[in-house]
Amino acid sequence: NRSEQEKCLLESTTLYVGNLSFYTSEGQIHELFSRAGDVKRIIMGLDKVQKTPCGFCFVEYYLRADAESAMRYINGTRLDDRIIRTDWDAGFKEGRQYGRG
Amino acid sequence: RRIATDDVDIEDRLESLITRVGEKSTSSLESNLEGLASVLETDIPNYKHQIMKILCQCVVKLPEKLTVYTTLVGLLNAKNYNCGGEFVEMLMRNLKEALKAGEFENARMMVRFLADLVNCHVLVATSLLQMFDSFVEVTLEDNIPQVRSDIYIYLVLSALPWVGRELFEKKEMELNNMLITIDNYLSKRQKIHLPALRVWTTDGPHLQEEYLDCLWAQIKNLRSNKWMEKQIVRPYLAFDSVLCDALQHTLPQIIPPSHNKSVLYPLPRVVFRLFDYTDVPQGSVLPGSHAIERYLIEEQLDRIIHTNHVERKDCAMALLGYPAKNKIPLNYMIVEVMFGQLFSLPRAPYLDLFYGSTFIELCKLQPTTMPEVLAQASEMLFDRIDSMHSICVERFVQWFAYHLSNFQYKWSWDDWEECVNMDANAPKSKFVREVLLQCLRFSYHQRVVESVPESFAPLLPAEPKAHYRYEQEGAGSLTGTMHAHKLISSIRSKCTPEEAAISMKELPNVYPNGQENENPSFNPLKIDVFFSTLLHLGSKSISHSFAALAKFHPNLKSLAEFDDGKVCLLKVLYEVWKTNQQMMVVLVDKLLRTEVVDCSSVANWLFSFEMQHDFTSFYVWEIMHSTIKKMSRHVDQLQQEVDNAHDKQEAAKRKEQDGLDVLDDDVPTDEAIERMEERLESATSAQKNLFLVIFQRFIIVLTEHLARCESAGVDYNTPWYKWVIERLQQVFLMHHELVFRYINTLEQLLFTSDVDIHILEVFQQFCALRS
Repeated sequence: NRSEQEKCLLESTTLYVGNLSFYTSEGQIHELFSRAGDVKRIIMGLDKVQKTPCGFCFVEYYLRADAESAMRYINGTRLDDRIIRTDWDAGFKEGRQYGRG
Repeated sequence: RRIATDDVDIEDRLESLITRVGEKSTSSLESNLEGLASVLETDIPNYKHQIMKILCQCVVKLPEKLTVYTTLVGLLNAKNYNCGGEFVEMLMRNLKEALKAGEFENARMMVRFLADLVNCHVLVATSLLQMFDSFVEVTLEDNIPQVRSDIYIYLVLSALPWVGRELFEKKEMELNNMLITIDNYLSKRQKIHLPALRVWTTDGPHLQEEYLDCLWAQIKNLRSNKWMEKQIVRPYLAFDSVLCDALQHTLPQIIPPSHNKSVLYPLPRVVFRLFDYTDVPQGSVLPGSHAIERYLIEEQLDRIIHTNHVERKDCAMALLGYPAKNKIPLNYMIVEVMFGQLFSLPRAPYLDLFYGSTFIELCKLQPTTMPEVLAQASEMLFDRIDSMHSICVERFVQWFAYHLSNFQYKWSWDDWEECVNMDANAPKSKFVREVLLQCLRFSYHQRVVESVPESFAPLLPAEPKAHYRYEQEGAGSLTGTMHAHKLISSIRSKCTPEEAAISMKELPNVYPNGQENENPSFNPLKIDVFFSTLLHLGSKSISHSFAALAKFHPNLKSLAEFDDGKVCLLKVLYEVWKTNQQMMVVLVDKLLRTEVVDCSSVANWLFSFEMQHDFTSFYVWEIMHSTIKKMSRHVDQLQQEVDNAHDKQEAAKRKEQDGLDVLDDDVPTDEAIERMEERLESATSAQKNLFLVIFQRFIIVLTEHLARCESAGVDYNTPWYKWVIERLQQVFLMHHELVFRYINTLEQLLFTSDVDIHILEVFQQFCALRS
C-alpha cells in the first residue's frame, strides 16, 4: 500500500546505504554514520549465495532527527574512497539483507 | 468556499512576490522594488494585514535583505502614510514580544530594521534615539546579571552601522551622549568568563576579544571615519526624491521588560580570528579586525550559514555567491567564519559533520582555490596548536581526519615530522596521533600505515584486535583458563544463559592473577572469564558483539550487580579491546543502554588507576561525554512523560467539567503519575550524582598533580595538566545547561574555598558565563 509506505518513510529512522565497497566493514560505516547521531544498529547487505558483503547496508538510528542529519550531510560523500548514496528506508525486515547473488 | 481558496492563492502569491524581491533578476533592484511597491499599493485595501505580516516575517527571516525591505516599507509609506504607521506598530509589538520571550536574535534584527527605517524616512531620528536610550539605560539597573545589560547594548551597537551616519548628521550631540554612556559601561564590565571561551590561550598573533569589545572597537573606527562604511547596499538612496517627501512616524515608547530569573540571555562570545591581510594573496584586501566591514561581512556569512545549514550544497553555493565578493578575499573569510563556528565555545551552532561536509562542497565548487586555502588554514591551526583549547583541538582532529577520509588521506605529512620525537602529550604530537586514530576508524590499519611517511611509525596506532588472555601464550597457568575453554565450547554449541552461569559456579573469588578478593559483592575472576570470553567470541564485528551481549544479558546483569562489579566489568572490556577504541566506545554505549552498567560506574572506571595511562586519550572523553549525554536524555525523556501525563489528566478534567465523556484508558491515574514522578526523581538524583562523581574525581586528580609539582619544586603547567584542566572545562561547557541546574550544590559541596585556586578558577569562570 503506497500511502502506508510513504507514512513509514516519513517516520523512519532507517537509511538504506548503497554503493559501498565490498570490503567496507561495519565498523567503518558505524564511524561515519555515528557522526550524525547515535546509531542503533547496522545490517550489512549480503550476497544471497556466498553470504559476503555486497555493497549495501541498512543503518538504523534511535532518533529520526539523527537519521535526517545523516541524509543531509552524508549522502554523496565518501566512505572508503567511494561516493555512497543514502535513501530513506521503511525499516529493516529479516531477509532484506540478502542482495542479488 | 471558492473565495476562501482564492484568498489563500493571493496570500501565497503575495508572499512569493515579497520574499523573492532582491534575488537575482534581469531588471534592476530599483525597478523591481518600484514595481512591487505599486502592486502592493493596490492590494493594501484588501490584504493589508497579510502584507504587513509577511513583511514582519521578512525582518527576522531574511535579514540579509534588510535594506531591500526597509526601502520597500519606505516606498509604501510614501504612498500610504497609514500603512507605514501600521507596519511600525506591528513591528514594535513583535519586538516587545521577542524581548519578553527572550528571542534576542530576532529582536536584534527588528531593532536594526527600525534603525534603517530612519534612513528611509519612515521614522524620526529622535524617536529611534529614545528607544536606544531606553535600551542603554538597562545598564543602570541594579541587581541584574551582566549578560542582560550586554544584550541590550548589543542591540544598539549592532544597529549603528546602518543608522550611525544619519544620527551623526541630524542628532550628533544626542548620539555622542549615548556613546559616552556605552563607553562607560563597557570599560567597567567584568570579564572573568573570557578564559573559558577563548579558542587560543595567547593573544599572538591575533587578539582574542570579547564580542562586545570587538564590536565597540569597530564602531569607534566607524565613528572616526565619519560613519561611512563600504559594505551595506542601500537601495533607498536611489529613491531619495520620493522618500524625502514622505511623512515620518514616531515610535511608541518601549520599556525593556524587567529582569526575571527565567529569562535566558545569550552567553558571551569571543571573536575567532585566524587570518590577517598578510595571509591573503595580493589582489584583494582582508578588512582589518577592527574595521566595521569585517564585522558586517562575517555577520552576513554567519547568516547565510544559518539560513542554509540543512542543505550543505545550497549553503556552499550561497557562501560562494556572496554579493560583494570581488572586493574581498571571500574564500579566506568563509574558511575563517566556518572554523569560527566549528570552534565556538561552549558548543558549535551546528553538527560538526555539517562543517565537514560543507567544506567538501566548497572544495568541489572551487577546486583550484578552496583546497589551497583550507590547507593553509590547517597548517596555521597546527602551527598554533600549543595555545589552542583542548576542546577545539579535539574538534580540529575530528574535522581533519574526516576531511582526509574524503580526499584519499593525501596530506603533506613530511612538514609535520617534528612531532615524531616529541613528548606524547605535546599538543602537536597528540594531534597527529589522534588524527591517525580517527583515520584508522574510517579506513583500516594498512591504509593508515601506507598514508604516512615511514618515519611516522612511532605515532601510528596499534593494529586493532581483541586481546584474549585465555588463549595467549602462558594461559595454561591461569586459574580461569580451563573454565574459559569450557565456556567457549558450550557457547559454540548454543548453551542457554543458565547453563553458562552454572559452568562458572565453582570459580573462586580471586583476581585473574590469583590474588584474593575480599569484596563479596563481585567476583573478578568470574567476570573476567565470562565477559572476556563473550567479547572474544563476538570479536568479529560490532553486530557479533551485540548479539553475544544480548544473548547473555542476564549473566552480565548478575555478574555486575553492584558498583564494584560494574567497574570490574568495564576494566575487562578495556583489557580485551584496548587497541580498538571504537569497540570500547560502541560497547560501553551498549552496556549503558542495556543497563548492565550505569553512568556513574562508567565515570568511576574512566578515572580509575587502570585508565590513567589513557587518561588524556580522546576516546576516554568521547565515552565520558556520551555517557553524560545519555544520562540527560534519559532525564529529559522521563520529564516529558510526566509533563504529558499531567497534560492528559488536566485535559480530561476540563472535559469532565464540560460534561463530556472521557475514555478511561487514555487518562493516567494519580498513582501512575506518582510512579512516573518517582522515576524522574531518581533519574534526576542519579544525574546530579554523576556530575558530583565526575567533578570530585577531577578535583582529586588535579589536586594531586598540583601538590606533587609543588613539593618537587617543578612547574605544574605541563602538557598533561593542560589536557586535564581543559577537559574539566569541557564538562562544564558542553553540558552547561545541565550543570547550571546543580551549580549551588557544586559550590557548597565541591568547589569550596579550600580547593586549589587553579581548579576553583575554572568553576568561577563558568559561573561568570551567566552572571
